[in-house]
Amino acid sequence: MFELHTLALMTLGVTAGLIAGAIPGFTIAMAVVLTLPFTFGMTATQGLSTMIGVLVGGLSGGLMAGMLTGIPGTPSSVATTFDGFPMARKGQPGLALGIGVWSSFFGGITGAIVLVTLAPQLARVGLEFGPWDYFALVMFALTITSSLSGKALLKGIIAGTLGLLVAAIGEDEVNGVARFTFGNDAIRQGFAFLPVLVGLFAFSQLLSDVQDRVKASKPLMPKGAKAVRVEHRQAIVEVLRRWVVVLRSSFIGVFTGILPGAGSSVSNILAYDQAKKASKHPEEFGTGIPDGIIAPESSNNATEGGALIMVMALGIPGDIITAVMLGALLIHDVVPSPSFISEEPVLAYSIFIAFFFAHFIMVTMQAFCLRIFVLITRVPMYILTSVILLYCAIGVFALHNVGFDLWTLFLFGILGYILRNLGFPLAPMILGVVLGDIAELNLNRAWSISNDLSLFITRPWSAFFLTLAAFSTVFPWYQRDRATKKWTQFYFPIFAFAIAVPVIFMGGTVRPVLGLCLILLGVYLLWRRVNKATDLSC
Amino acid sequence: MGRFHIDTLVAIFLLLFCGVFLTASFSIRETSYASLGAEVWPRVILIFLTLLSLGYLVQALRHERSEQTEEAPRGLKQWFFHHLNAVWCFVWFGLFLLSLPYLGMLVGGMLFVYVTLTSLGRRDFHGHLVHAAIAVVSVGTMWAIFTYGLKVFLPTGSIVSF
Repeated sequence: MFELHTLALMTLGVTAGLIAGAIPGFTIAMAVVLTLPFTFGMTATQGLSTMIGVLVGGLSGGLMAGMLTGIPGTPSSVATTFDGFPMARKGQPGLALGIGVWSSFFGGITGAIVLVTLAPQLARVGLEFGPWDYFALVMFALTITSSLSGKALLKGIIAGTLGLLVAAIGEDEVNGVARFTFGNDAIRQGFAFLPVLVGLFAFSQLLSDVQDRVKASKPLMPKGAKAVRVEHRQAIVEVLRRWVVVLRSSFIGVFTGILPGAGSSVSNILAYDQAKKASKHPEEFGTGIPDGIIAPESSNNATEGGALIMVMALGIPGDIITAVMLGALLIHDVVPSPSFISEEPVLAYSIFIAFFFAHFIMVTMQAFCLRIFVLITRVPMYILTSVILLYCAIGVFALHNVGFDLWTLFLFGILGYILRNLGFPLAPMILGVVLGDIAELNLNRAWSISNDLSLFITRPWSAFFLTLAAFSTVFPWYQRDRATKKWTQFYFPIFAFAIAVPVIFMGGTVRPVLGLCLILLGVYLLWRRVNKATDLSC
Repeated sequence: MGRFHIDTLVAIFLLLFCGVFLTASFSIRETSYASLGAEVWPRVILIFLTLLSLGYLVQALRHERSEQTEEAPRGLKQWFFHHLNAVWCFVWFGLFLLSLPYLGMLVGGMLFVYVTLTSLGRRDFHGHLVHAAIAVVSVGTMWAIFTYGLKVFLPTGSIVSF
């Protein structure tokens, strides 16, 4: 991990991430996806360290564009612009950038500490999982991703199911039987993950970016941005003075990351909102105060620490970025599972260290990248799109040296573009493609052990995840009808009761106690709702 | 073409798609050794997808009846112009893939980037020059990185052998 070559690759990755994250229209996921082909020739440690560098750089790069131009570079830095841009306009761009950079740093380090502490513990819990539980966990990951991907829940679930179907095309992994090949031998091997991912996500996004002909031929930043000197010393003082905001926002970020489907685009707004609610002067938010920058920037970097916990401990990605990370591990013949950390300690701890160390590189490289970013903002989007489309093709071909992969990229590029324009969220579909094989494999294992379907409900962990899946499916309706329909008052009490039952049956001492606490919480919530309703009727 | 009308069409398309795949699932070879046949999981997915598509169709029809779309219906011509840039990219990319066995990645790639840049951007003399320079430098650099740096074999053409 500490070889000069690996550190150089990580620095390159962070630099690329910082620049890509700063360009509006380029998401972190796209930067990570495009990095993947370059890692084929590297060792697993080098490849993953580079990708983690891109990820950390991307998370912190978004703030540059947001603060200097008011246009967030990535969705994960939307809330940063609320106070970052006004502070920069008040004549303190260097301080605004400094606060952003150091908040990202402290948030990321907190995320890394939680990752190192929690991932091995969660992996130990994961060892209790049987195939029924894994299958249920995949279902939960898919339903929550669909329900959090926007207003169109039905479209989200359809997209997720389409992803599962794509994964089922080709030779069945267990029995070796060809499926849905329609007489085409090339399809027998199934669709490779990377061309599908690049096609669905990167290809379709690039084309959406140049949809508007006039906008596509103008420079990325109409006003242009100026490189400024980052005020590090003053920024560190400002951030450390508000350590409570840093910690609270970082934990919001980690928790959001652990939850499948909710990434840094959700956590930065959530953390900003919580910081505003907890502040003694909420009216000052939006005018350019440090708290408004610290909260979103701490949380978005911490989020990926949380998301990596799920991939490393259970092998279940929660968002597109970690899905790509999982793909990278699979390319290097490493299959993440609960035993991953104990069986591959060198690689696992390299990932931990890389995530930790990348934040130090990020702080060092930010000032340098700011200058490159200013240069790139002068390039029109259509130039970047044309060049990157070809880079996608080269990268995808390099995976297996098979021409069919390029046609897969083309096909899924068209499909992704159509789905995106029809309002179908792509994240559930991508997760469906990644998780399809895991779901089928575990269903097969479960069926081989016993053909008793009731085990999916009677096993505590499986029942736990299926309950979560059911409630996450109803969640969009809860959000829509909250405060207008009566049934929404009972959503959380019923959820607490329902989730308590499998927790109690998990055995041991702590879990049944936790289950009883959940029941008490449910009773308390119910009592409060009933009291509120009685008061209102009086 | 209003949004709800499109949703109805998409739902019908999804139902047809499910029908085709469900029919194809009956051609999947059954094995005597498998505890769970290779056709079971895809069928479960397809049945679920069919139910979802039916729900989507009902939802689309309900919206179509109850609500009037605020936007004026967009004609096929307007729709085409809205997506013209994307259509260009797809056309050029498709042709690039078809030409790959003859021109190879380096020359084919340069041509693809140049043609795409010219379709999407400015078309005056200066534009052509800039686009050609970008195509040569960007593709040449990446080709060199993969070929010599990462030692990855990129396709060569039968007409142009690099």
